[in-house]
Amino acid sequence: MPLDTELATFKKLKAELLANHAGKFALIKGDDFIGAFDTPDNAYTEGVTRYGREPFLVRRIAEQEEVYRNQAFLLGLTNARI
Amino acid sequence: MPVFDFFHWDKDKGYTLAETGAILQVTVGLPPALEQFCLQKNIAIPTPVSGYALIDTGASASAVHEQIFTDFGVQPIDNILMSTPHTRDKFSFVYPAKVQFPGLNLSGEGALTSMRVVGCELKWTTFDDKEIIMLMGRDLLKFFLMVYNGVQSDITLAY
Repeated sequence: MPLDTELATFKKLKAELLANHAGKFALIKGDDFIGAFDTPDNAYTEGVTRYGREPFLVRRIAEQEEVYRNQAFLLGLTNARI
Repeated sequence: MPVFDFFHWDKDKGYTLAETGAILQVTVGLPPALEQFCLQKNIAIPTPVSGYALIDTGASASAVHEQIFTDFGVQPIDNILMSTPHTRDKFSFVYPAKVQFPGLNLSGEGALTSMRVVGCELKWTTFDDKEIIMLMGRDLLKFFLMVYNGVQSDITLAY
């Protein structure tokens, strides 16, 4: 799956990233942490500059993992008609 | 504060807001950084996809039909855990995108041209033949004041 390696790298480095770059966005390619950026846009731009259309990870450095909450959509009710 | 009005009405079906939900036109294209990269490398830039976004105050973030990114050749940049009372440990990919709303003349911080969106299987067509390709979640709605006028089948957005 895309990003498997990068997600594993993030997990491995998470404590260190939290200690030094909490709240920023990490750019990770393969096993390498490239840098921490103030915005996801800046991280993405740097990723594209270095790797073009190859996959790389841009993830917020935070203790809590982000969760997508949308009950209506995920329950299939967004377009339901009764 | 610029104010934009979206009257939901069809010449055959009359008021449509209650059936379709609050929708507005949207185009989804390559994120600006990737567009620039393609220009420099002489790679064809895919035409942005046009459709409608459903305003979804129940969504914590915005979502876009995932096939659009597959067709563009855009790689995911993250994943995110999906949460419902019935679903645990299901992840979806997060994609970079350029999102524009032709009906909103946005500028400055509210331009919202480059953003992270969740990729989902969500495309459907409303009863008045409008193709929904996006859920506009609270990550975008935080920039707006919105009035939902169910009686007049009308949405007002201001930012």
